[in-house]
Amino acid sequence: MFAGLGVSSFLAWKSIRRGNKGTLALTIMIIALIFVNLVFLPSIISGVVVTFDAQSIDFDVGNLVIEPREGSRYIDGVDGLQKKLEQIPGITGTSPRIAAGVTYFYRGRNAASTLYGINPEDERSVTRIADHMIAGEFLSNGDTDAIIIGTILAGTEGVAEGGLPSLEGVGVGDSVDVAYPNGATRTYRVKGIFETQSFGVDTAAFVTTREMSQVLGLDDQASAILVKTAVNGREEEYKTEILSYGVQEDVLTFREKSGGFVEQAIQSFNIINAISTLVSLIIAIVVVFIVIFINTVNRRRQIGILKAIGIDQQIIINSYVLQVLFITAIGALVGIVLNAGVTAYLTAYPLVFPGGPVYPEVEASAILRSIASLFGVSVVAGYIPAWRIAREDILTAIRG
Amino acid sequence: MIVAENLTRVYTMGKVEVRALAGVSLEVAKGEFVGIMGASGSGKSTLLHILGLLDRPTSGSVTIDGTDVLALSDRQRTLFRLNRLGYVFQDYALIGELTALENVYLTSLVRGASKEEYIERSADILRRVGLGDRMDHRQSELSGGEQQRVAIARALVNNPSILLADEPCANLDSQTSRSILDLFARLNEELDQTIVMVSHEDWHKEYFCRIVTLRDGMIGDMVECQKEPHPG
Repeated sequence: MFAGLGVSSFLAWKSIRRGNKGTLALTIMIIALIFVNLVFLPSIISGVVVTFDAQSIDFDVGNLVIEPREGSRYIDGVDGLQKKLEQIPGITGTSPRIAAGVTYFYRGRNAASTLYGINPEDERSVTRIADHMIAGEFLSNGDTDAIIIGTILAGTEGVAEGGLPSLEGVGVGDSVDVAYPNGATRTYRVKGIFETQSFGVDTAAFVTTREMSQVLGLDDQASAILVKTAVNGREEEYKTEILSYGVQEDVLTFREKSGGFVEQAIQSFNIINAISTLVSLIIAIVVVFIVIFINTVNRRRQIGILKAIGIDQQIIINSYVLQVLFITAIGALVGIVLNAGVTAYLTAYPLVFPGGPVYPEVEASAILRSIASLFGVSVVAGYIPAWRIAREDILTAIRG
Repeated sequence: MIVAENLTRVYTMGKVEVRALAGVSLEVAKGEFVGIMGASGSGKSTLLHILGLLDRPTSGSVTIDGTDVLALSDRQRTLFRLNRLGYVFQDYALIGELTALENVYLTSLVRGASKEEYIERSADILRRVGLGDRMDHRQSELSGGEQQRVAIARALVNNPSILLADEPCANLDSQTSRSILDLFARLNEELDQTIVMVSHEDWHKEYFCRIVTLRDGMIGDMVECQKEPHPG
């Protein structure tokens, strides 16, 4: 098969250099766009996963979350449990949270959402909400009449948030009334507004644990304890470690806490991706097949002549396969450049998903897989028409 | 030397059998310039194709320089054509993307000759056919006569035992045709090149050493060497 590769390369190179430049450029462009299509969707799926993970860890639940045992509403003995957790190597912070579904009132408007009670310093050791204040300040440990509100819940004057809870224009310094589930009502001064771009967090609000415990009549209790670890991605190991320390409560990784949402989303994305990949590869096969088919049919007589003067048909077939390899290689290179452009654009202007902004994550494996599949289908699609024409009887080919 | 014995070639076209050759026996000695003539459909191209290993006879035998070429496999026939035969086609059959020089050295490339060797030899042949200053031109930049000279140079580059030409002047005007035939005659005389050429032009006869005229797939007439003196 590889006999006379030098001659095949010679014929292929001359054909590429001196053949129709327009057809060559168009074919390369189509291959490049197919490559972009093959890489783009997986990069968005990876981006969704990375975003969801980062948002969950940085703003929502930390790396792990300790929840009350089944049948209990709150974790008891939070201080002791916190101390126990912080002794475990690799755990860099813990933050007990009390959660309650409340209704907020502001200037005749109301919105139902979650209110969390936190120890501000503990919360700083786990989440990065404190770094994402867009107005005012984060809570301090001693605050009792202060609340910080997510940007969606705070809202904008006269702008409904499309079904999301919004008070439509709360600002720092405003007073907001909060009706607790036990019937208690409190008025809080808005100390700050945060924006994490995670819808679940930006529709919530926070007061101090001290304040919320007092309202709800809790003592050393929490709805959950968020746990931050030194390294991301090793949550399962830390979970085992925590359980080995005799923690009796439920320990969940942030993925488990999401209840399989991410896995389901990934599965759905992967089905879409598989269909998109299949369609792209079929287009690649058809394009390459047509280009080489037309090329070989137009040169049927020339192929017959080449065989007549003693050029082995495998050399002729290989010359077309080499042309296809060249077109695919350049197409993939152009595709990489185009994809870099798309990635740069979407990094500057990310797609906004409910979990937060999604940046495309282009993985080397996705690029290699796309290049390999493109080469695979191109070689087959180039070989078949070249083989069909080249194996034709010499006189039939010469007569055209 | 070519020895063809009792060649027949029958084509089946639907339910009709066409007998293109009906028992042709022919010998071509080394250094001969043989013209195969005859009316359209007389079988001259079929005979050339069989002698040139482009087609197989229905029956009969062909021996070239002692090799029973009908016993060769397709791959061996390809190699035989590459190493022992040279072709000149009616419409030049050059590769458009290659220059004159590249067209000529292509078969040497396949034979595995060194670059210096094949470039020097190809350039030398192109100079010999009068295209020393047109080597880097592509097909589209050459006249019909020049293209046919490139095709002849390509056919000669590997020192073939036999040069086969299928109506090489069919697309050329009479003046250019004469220059091509002069070239054939010169090659035949100076290099003792064996040439078998198909033609239907009467005035070409003056160039041939021997004329084989086919009629209805058989040799109708054979005129022995009449080329004296050489008209070129």
